[in-house]
Amino acid sequence: MSDTAKLVFGAVLGVLYLVIGLLQMVGAVVGPLPGLDALSLTGNLFGGFVLLVVGAVFIAGVRKLAAGSGEGAIFVSVGFLLSVAFGLVELLALCALGLDAYLVGEWAEWSVADAVNPLLYLAVLGAVGFLAWGRTFLRGLTAA
Amino acid sequence: MKREIRIALTGNPNVGKTTLFNALTGSRQHVGNWPGVTVEKKTGKASRNGCEFEVVDLPGTYSLTAYSADEVVARDFILDEKPDVVVQVVDATNLERNLYLTTQLAELRTPIVVALNMADMAEAQGDPIDYRRLSAFLEIPVVRTVGTRGEGLQDLLDAAIREAETSPHHEHTIGYGNEVETLIATLVDALRTDADLSGRYPLRWLAVKLLEGDENVLAMVRGGAAFPRVEGVLSSIDADEYEAAMADKRYEAISAVLPQVRKASFREMSPSDMVDRVVTDRYLGIPIFLALMWGAFELTFTVATPFMTAIDTVVAWLAEFVAGSIEPAWLASLLGDGIIGGVGSVLIFLPNIFILFLILAILEDSGYLARAAFIMDRPLYALGLPGKSFVPMLVGFGCNVPAIMATRSIEGEKDRLLTILVNPFMSCSARLPVYILFAGVFFPEQAGSVVFFLYVLGIAVAIASAKLFRSTILPGEASPFVMEMPPYRIPTAKTALLHMWSRGSMYIRKAGTIILAGVLVVWVLASFPFGVEYGGAESFAGMIGHVLEPLVAPLGFDWKVAVALIFGFIAKEIVVGSLGTLYGTGEETLPTALLADPGLSAATALALMVFVLLYTPCVAALGVIRKETGSWKWTGFSVAYGLVVAWILAFVVGHGAGLFMGGM
Repeated sequence: MSDTAKLVFGAVLGVLYLVIGLLQMVGAVVGPLPGLDALSLTGNLFGGFVLLVVGAVFIAGVRKLAAGSGEGAIFVSVGFLLSVAFGLVELLALCALGLDAYLVGEWAEWSVADAVNPLLYLAVLGAVGFLAWGRTFLRGLTAA
Repeated sequence: MKREIRIALTGNPNVGKTTLFNALTGSRQHVGNWPGVTVEKKTGKASRNGCEFEVVDLPGTYSLTAYSADEVVARDFILDEKPDVVVQVVDATNLERNLYLTTQLAELRTPIVVALNMADMAEAQGDPIDYRRLSAFLEIPVVRTVGTRGEGLQDLLDAAIREAETSPHHEHTIGYGNEVETLIATLVDALRTDADLSGRYPLRWLAVKLLEGDENVLAMVRGGAAFPRVEGVLSSIDADEYEAAMADKRYEAISAVLPQVRKASFREMSPSDMVDRVVTDRYLGIPIFLALMWGAFELTFTVATPFMTAIDTVVAWLAEFVAGSIEPAWLASLLGDGIIGGVGSVLIFLPNIFILFLILAILEDSGYLARAAFIMDRPLYALGLPGKSFVPMLVGFGCNVPAIMATRSIEGEKDRLLTILVNPFMSCSARLPVYILFAGVFFPEQAGSVVFFLYVLGIAVAIASAKLFRSTILPGEASPFVMEMPPYRIPTAKTALLHMWSRGSMYIRKAGTIILAGVLVVWVLASFPFGVEYGGAESFAGMIGHVLEPLVAPLGFDWKVAVALIFGFIAKEIVVGSLGTLYGTGEETLPTALLADPGLSAATALALMVFVLLYTPCVAALGVIRKETGSWKWTGFSVAYGLVVAWILAFVVGHGAGLFMGGM
């Protein structure tokens, strides 16, 4: 795919991460925001900070791409990498919480929907970008 | 009889010396993908073809002009201990800089073998080295090795045997040009009059080092018969100028060899460089670092939860079994309240410790932690702390003891002392159980973020303290930081798990030794004098706690917490163990008991976590502070300063949180 596709996709992801990150941080300070249940905001201040950081990486890349700098593509690709990494963190957390609910006998009350958060569902989009552009990073790296 | 050969492994930092050492000797010394992991020499054994090898792993050094404590260890060993063979481990992907040390070693007239390590990486990058030609040019055996896969080890030992049996060895000299060579000849002539020195060191090497302004070599010459003439020569030259000129000549020689032994195919940018553009970005580098740290603590808390539940269930069952089936009552109390309540409440956090160490191992092996040190250099330097300090500070996330020892890589006594004094504020793994316990009980929805906040607070206090010390008791400018970025590597499951186990198993050992002893003492104090209520105000523990209570009452802590904090001096995990014993939880778990205590609130819990983060490090850390500073005065200062900072910040955080959450 071309740099234009990367620019558009990166811009969309960047804006989503920034907006949802901001809402998450605001929600952490003032309490649950009405009408935003669909976003699964957790009211976690630091979780919101992480969303902002990933968004900032995407936007930095998009700005560089728009200015014609080849470095922009690198920033967007690392953004995909971070998006997937934090998505994996949340996926592992979700699995662990589910397992814990099972162990303590609260499996019936536990719901995946309650454990979903923005870092998890935004990572699905990040994974799409990573599969399209990001995998080249892993090539050429050797085992430690 | 078997021939014994002593091999010294030397080389630049982070070229794989310890990996090779482990592969040769079967040891499991810690290996890290960043410079400065080895700060003191380590010894192991190997055998091959009827020879017994004593292999000594030396700290990394860029040259034989030693500046930092760990470089002095490496150089002194080669010069004074005179190993049979010096094996220089060379990073094949960075040949030019590595061969600079080779040119210096070659002047020592010591048998040398070059281990061309990470040869696979050089080949993967399209830059294979013709090691046979390199060997012919250097007139030194060169062996291709891949330490991580154990390739070339037998060839390396065979080459070492051949070199050890070859005698005599001639020195390999670099021609430094007429002017320098004339001065070298004059100095050699002068040094010959010093019988002691001329019998121990190659005179040309001594002369070269003197011209380079090497303070250690000058100290050796000072007071000897040759000193007046040497001083006469040195006073007539500018040592900095000569050092630069001689370094140029060495690089000229290297540059002449390199094109004939390598087929470099330069790419525009490697994947490592690409990732570095972003993660070391001036504006995004630190936020990315903080975000990754948050991810690490989120995982540490959440992924461990089901494992904690499983251990907790077993501990609770055991406590119930003991309470219901063992006689006499004092024995049931010893086993149930003391050992199971105390040690069990510490063991519950084993999964968290292992997961944190696994994540740190992955970050370290990938090469990211070296970048973290790099990106922290700018703010640290601005605050008067050398950027190199951040490597020991990061090591402090695991344990402050090796972290304080790692300060040996820092040049400059004041910089080193500064780093030692602030290192205890880096939150070691022993404090993690306290955070997990209280964050899990009082902040169940945000426990990972609370733990993350504490780690960041520790870094902030360390940096602020460094700034304070720099402008008061340790004035001066921080040394500039030069750090080589290791390439990113994909961590292997085996190495990451080995790192996790080697660090995490220490926690298990501590649980069975020092923590067990600590909780037994607490149990005795809580049970005696005879006839008192267990853990009551009339028990010894109650008496001690009530004496101390006024000191901690402004922080919202009661006498039980005071006793636990006192025992935390021995090891921080004992804070949890002591609480487990003092609460005499029996059939109920410690979290339940804490939640039911009306004296404890979310704000008090936050204050307690801040206090545990910042107050005096454990006895082992104090011991190593005493050893590394050589001063009881600085050790005492570290204790007092930590206590004062902990008290003030716990008060501020506790009462600040109390305003929002109530309960203080």
